[in-house]
Amino acid sequence: MIMTIIFIFTKEYDGYDSNNNYHKGYQSMYISKNIISTLSLATALSIGMTGCGSSSSDGDAATGVTDQEKQIVLTSYADSVFDTMAAAITDAKALETAVNAFTDDSTEATSDAAKAAWLQARESYGVTEIYRLSNGPIDAEEGWVADAYGAPEGQLNAWPLDENMIDYTTDSSGATTSGNIIDTAGAFTPNGGDEVDATVISKEVLAALNENGGDANVATGYHAIEFLLWGQDQDYNSFIDDTVTNGATKAGERPLEDYTSNPNADRRKAYLDASAELIVDDLEAVASAWAKTASVDCSTDASGCYRAALLDSLTGDDATKNIKPDAALKTIIGAIGVFIKSELANERIAVAVLTPSEEDEHSCFSDNTHRDILLNYQGFVDVLKTGDKSLYDLVDTETRTELDALIASIDLKVAAVDAAAAATHFDYQIKEGSDTRSTIIDMKNDMRELGDLMVDVAADLDIDLNEEDVTDPDETVL
Amino acid sequence: MIALSLQVSVLAGLMLAGCSEMTFSEDVTATDDIVQTTSYDRTLFSKDISKQAFSHPMGAMDDAMLDVFVTGRSFFTIPWVEAPSATTARDGLGPLFSANTCINCHPGHGAGVAIDDEGTLRRDLVMRLALSSQNDLDEMSMMSRGSEPEPTYGAQFSINGTHGTSYEGHVEVEYEEKEGSYPDGSSYSLRMSHYTLERLGYGPLHENTAISPRIALALVGLGMLEQIPEEAILAHEDIDDRDGDGISGKANWVYTTESSERQLGRFTWKASSPTVRYQSANAANNDMGLTSPLFPKENCTEAQKACKDADKGHHTFDLPGDRLDAITFYITHLKIPSARDFSDKEEAETLFSTLRCDSCHVSTYTTAMGVEIAPFSDLLLHDMGEGLADGHRDFLASGSEWRTPPLWGIGLYKDVSTEANYLHDGRARSIEEAILWHGGEAEGAKRAFMALGKKKRELLIDYLGTI
Repeated sequence: MIMTIIFIFTKEYDGYDSNNNYHKGYQSMYISKNIISTLSLATALSIGMTGCGSSSSDGDAATGVTDQEKQIVLTSYADSVFDTMAAAITDAKALETAVNAFTDDSTEATSDAAKAAWLQARESYGVTEIYRLSNGPIDAEEGWVADAYGAPEGQLNAWPLDENMIDYTTDSSGATTSGNIIDTAGAFTPNGGDEVDATVISKEVLAALNENGGDANVATGYHAIEFLLWGQDQDYNSFIDDTVTNGATKAGERPLEDYTSNPNADRRKAYLDASAELIVDDLEAVASAWAKTASVDCSTDASGCYRAALLDSLTGDDATKNIKPDAALKTIIGAIGVFIKSELANERIAVAVLTPSEEDEHSCFSDNTHRDILLNYQGFVDVLKTGDKSLYDLVDTETRTELDALIASIDLKVAAVDAAAAATHFDYQIKEGSDTRSTIIDMKNDMRELGDLMVDVAADLDIDLNEEDVTDPDETVL
Repeated sequence: MIALSLQVSVLAGLMLAGCSEMTFSEDVTATDDIVQTTSYDRTLFSKDISKQAFSHPMGAMDDAMLDVFVTGRSFFTIPWVEAPSATTARDGLGPLFSANTCINCHPGHGAGVAIDDEGTLRRDLVMRLALSSQNDLDEMSMMSRGSEPEPTYGAQFSINGTHGTSYEGHVEVEYEEKEGSYPDGSSYSLRMSHYTLERLGYGPLHENTAISPRIALALVGLGMLEQIPEEAILAHEDIDDRDGDGISGKANWVYTTESSERQLGRFTWKASSPTVRYQSANAANNDMGLTSPLFPKENCTEAQKACKDADKGHHTFDLPGDRLDAITFYITHLKIPSARDFSDKEEAETLFSTLRCDSCHVSTYTTAMGVEIAPFSDLLLHDMGEGLADGHRDFLASGSEWRTPPLWGIGLYKDVSTEANYLHDGRARSIEEAILWHGGEAEGAKRAFMALGKKKRELLIDYLGTI
């Protein structure tokens, strides 16, 4: 019988068998097919004998987590969002001041100070990214939250930037590109988008241009400022030689002349100033959602309303906005799982390291990606572990042991990548042959696992979350 | 022999019935090439009915597979730009192209939409150009390319150009309503479409050009369609209609750059592509102007000098082989929507069979690896009559023959793509309209459908929305 079955398959397949197990390649497939056929029967029999009940060790119900404990976790979460957003705003204002000082008097010193302020602003913004993907003020796509706070994430931190749309770049032939917002006085039409009058560059004009014509037309936010301060960092490692800023320790090297003698200097300055101002506005809009006192009428003034809704404490007409504690926790646990797995591990790290391509690293002009990774991850750990009572405190011993092991493992890898960045920027770390490339690959794999573990964290709180819920921001309906 | 192996899995399946989720207690097999799954019913099929219904990764992927999946998704969704650019991984768009991302025309991996809210034709609908099948066609060309492209514009009409390469033109559509009524007196209206190509950038079209509008197909279960054993498809062939049921069924045998052998066509409206990989490269070349190992040349004709001379960037292929493979892997590892519950399922299934819809929309198959799937297609060509004919030959497909499109997930098209358009040019606005356009070999089935009472017609349509 086995021989004849082998004979049936004369073609190479990768794919799923009838037991939903994945096979790679013909060779293993035809051998395993037969083993599977017999063994799945055996497995089925053994399951049949033990019954279909709890086949997973985490299936025990009654967790003993009280409503009061859940409320404490939620309040701690809301408090820390408020605090971290406040810190991000403080640093964004300092960035705006430093940028203004640079555009007022463009010198190497003011340029360096602006860059330092940008790096500092990223430190405090990086840990807030973990609040994304939870239908919250930063990026809710629809509903009252989106209407009230504007979901400014795409305006604040979208990437990859369309630098070619903003300012000149050097293309892969070595030619300087033109036809961008800065060198086009008057009306500007983004690729595939609608015309905007950009005679005067203001925050309103930039907001109108951002993602006008498609998600790829990114023109605002932290990375726009990064590009305008540092300039292009072309460490090509896929197809052609690294021609613009060659070397493992080189970031972008925008000449100071761009802000002094260059004919478009004034428009470039206006772009920088407007971008910095817009960041502060956007952060303040988000932070207002987390104010500790809710407005009396959320339809006219939404300050504090999201926090109150998340804590199930809005009253009167606004009470319909309230989120029940279990739903709130599900949203938060699901969101941090999606963020660490799909956003950080997959979109930000995997694509960059696998392609490998510099343009897929998060902060590619300043080569600050190692910090983005560390801070994004730090934000995750903070949500999991901080507070008077944290999620980490509420999980069972087994989940905690798994969390400890993964976190310990990721801590080491994140620190290694961070430490290596001094001598080898992230865009060189992802290259074939780099010492830390495999660390980066393993790190992202651990992060995926950590994201999946949020299913267990939720289960320990009697909250039903499945692997699909933590797999992709675009598909997660919480 | 096949029966023997199936018995084993059927038996195993029965033993498992009732367990919604199972975890293998230990490694099932000694080989290390099997990736285990823990969620038995969630691995391949999704119950999601939201706009993300066609966007979920299949389960049981290890990190290496997930890496390929994520890379494929990146290249499927992120926009391409013209070369040379500062972003070399994604440059090479054009010089002639229709869209700049794959996801553009397959929104949410679903079916394309013909026109937008404002009545403007969307790029999801492309115009294929070929010399009419009435002509004396160059048989050598037919064998190697499947059809004879329009000499100046090539096989597909591009509505955009980069690098100062003039676009090929602009497409206008006019719709016309064709009223009709059922035998029971209730009326219907069919939307007819008329296309004209305007603002032609390279002079007039060849006088015998046949224009075939084709809308992007939903990317549902493509990996599984690829794994239907060839014999299972050919078993439904009846080229000369020997059984006299009026329905033939013909396989399209095609030649591609992927293989020196002829291969069974499974994908596209005329079953002209044998594999997902080939079709992905084909779409990348024709729709976005990307070169790849399977399509090493830009889609410019000899007459299009600016296109030929344009700077192509600094790489051998815009879409190198490993990235094409990643896109292919990505598309073939998206979950298939599960059929939804339907209260009158048994009655509807009987109806579907009595009307002989299932003669072409063959419901179920077992893949080469033993997975039961229900795509509702025989993947064969059928003459669908003059109403749908486009005059395009494509390998063995004649000007009035079309591949039976799979129907799984059809009820979710609207949820996924926000609008649902059916048939090759998206002319049908509802499943009902699509049925009423059936002609040729399907004329009998359509008449049988029309002869039903209103309730039964609705029952059948509602059922189709759940498969």
